[in-house]
Amino acid sequence: MPKSPTVPNCHAQPLCHLSELGEGSARGFLPDEDGQDRIFIVCHEGRLHAWRNACPHLAGAPMAWKRDAYLSPDGRQVMCHAHGARFEPDSGLCVHGPCLGQRLESVALHISTSGQVSLADPHLTCSV
Amino acid sequence: MNITGLETLVFGVEDLAACRQYLLDYGLHAAADDPNRLLALDGSGVELYPADDASLPSAPNGCQLRLAVMGVADEATLQAIAEELGKDREVHRVDGRLQSVDDAGFAIAFQVSRRQPLPLIGEISNAPGSPIQRVPNQLGVVAGREAIQPRALSHLVYFVPDLAKAERFYVERLGFRVTDRFDGVGPFIQPAGSLEHHTHFLIGAPAFMHGVEHFTFHFGGPTEVIQNGSRFVKAGYQAFWGPGRHIFGSNWFWYFNSPFGCHVEMDADMDLHDNTWRPRLAPLGADASQAFLLRRRDNWMPGPGTPENGDYAN
Repeated sequence: MPKSPTVPNCHAQPLCHLSELGEGSARGFLPDEDGQDRIFIVCHEGRLHAWRNACPHLAGAPMAWKRDAYLSPDGRQVMCHAHGARFEPDSGLCVHGPCLGQRLESVALHISTSGQVSLADPHLTCSV
Repeated sequence: MNITGLETLVFGVEDLAACRQYLLDYGLHAAADDPNRLLALDGSGVELYPADDASLPSAPNGCQLRLAVMGVADEATLQAIAEELGKDREVHRVDGRLQSVDDAGFAIAFQVSRRQPLPLIGEISNAPGSPIQRVPNQLGVVAGREAIQPRALSHLVYFVPDLAKAERFYVERLGFRVTDRFDGVGPFIQPAGSLEHHTHFLIGAPAFMHGVEHFTFHFGGPTEVIQNGSRFVKAGYQAFWGPGRHIFGSNWFWYFNSPFGCHVEMDADMDLHDNTWRPRLAPLGADASQAFLLRRRDNWMPGPGTPENGDYAN
């Protein structure tokens, strides 16, 4: 069944507060009806990087092995737990695995002066 | 060679606690004598060790699967394998297992089968006309039933860089039969002592993929796969593909991402084939792999809390 173009969560609701994203951690957001996050955010060296939860090695492959488990065991890289691809957390570049040299698709964030993190383009939730 | 199937998969993992909890939530139970040996109902299962355990055989490309242990019917088969493989490679005994390496670089071992017989019936469907039905008042599904346990280790799928070489090893040296094949991808293979559609599936892949695509255990039927998989999802684990039913092998499937660097599947109701079966050949593709694919729906009728635009808008 095709999805309606108007989705209730297409409003600029904050995803979380900056203080909830600890250095070296990852967290998924905007789960679909199957419980899979549409995007995830990595906090790396003091900066937030948001990526679509879709490994480029297979169209749309979900990457975590458990809720919010997007990082390699040493926490230094983003990892696809489908076929083991590893990515730089800040550039999204695949440095190991079946999509070597390809990149994760980035999602722009907006951080308010009060520290609320939301999507820069609130309508993006419709397509991610 | 009277090889009866896979019995134990030995992993060397970076996060042992997470991997162990994953398998417990999947439905395996810990052996009484070793908390890191996780078992299905017939005693087949998975052994976990830290990745840097020096006693583990090496594996290609950082693969976390370090050893695949197969069962054999008797000591004579073990001897025959030792003689066959001893012609061109090292074979040694470790803990009652005969250990060596296959032609794809994966460590393999053999033991006289330690699987326990399972006096359990499988899922029965009340099909009109069928002489086999559930007895009256026996329910087909119990929503709150206790833990669902996998019955037996099912199969293992390898990515191999030289498919022809790997296939020759299992077929010509170990006596496996090809049951079906995806053209240009690889064969499903069955050892001589098993009727299962496949205990191994070999996929030809570039060297950087050298490793494991998935492993899986058999459950008691499609209801167990789907009910257990649903619980797994609810516990926070991430589904990859399924639930659905394969065409080759007819097994019900549900694949999950895992911390083992490969997928882990739940499966049920695989076809059995004997040596009169003629292998099929098909191009690989989703249409050739899945007879159908199911989709979960949390809400299924309008009622209190229904969104303005209806459930499909969610």
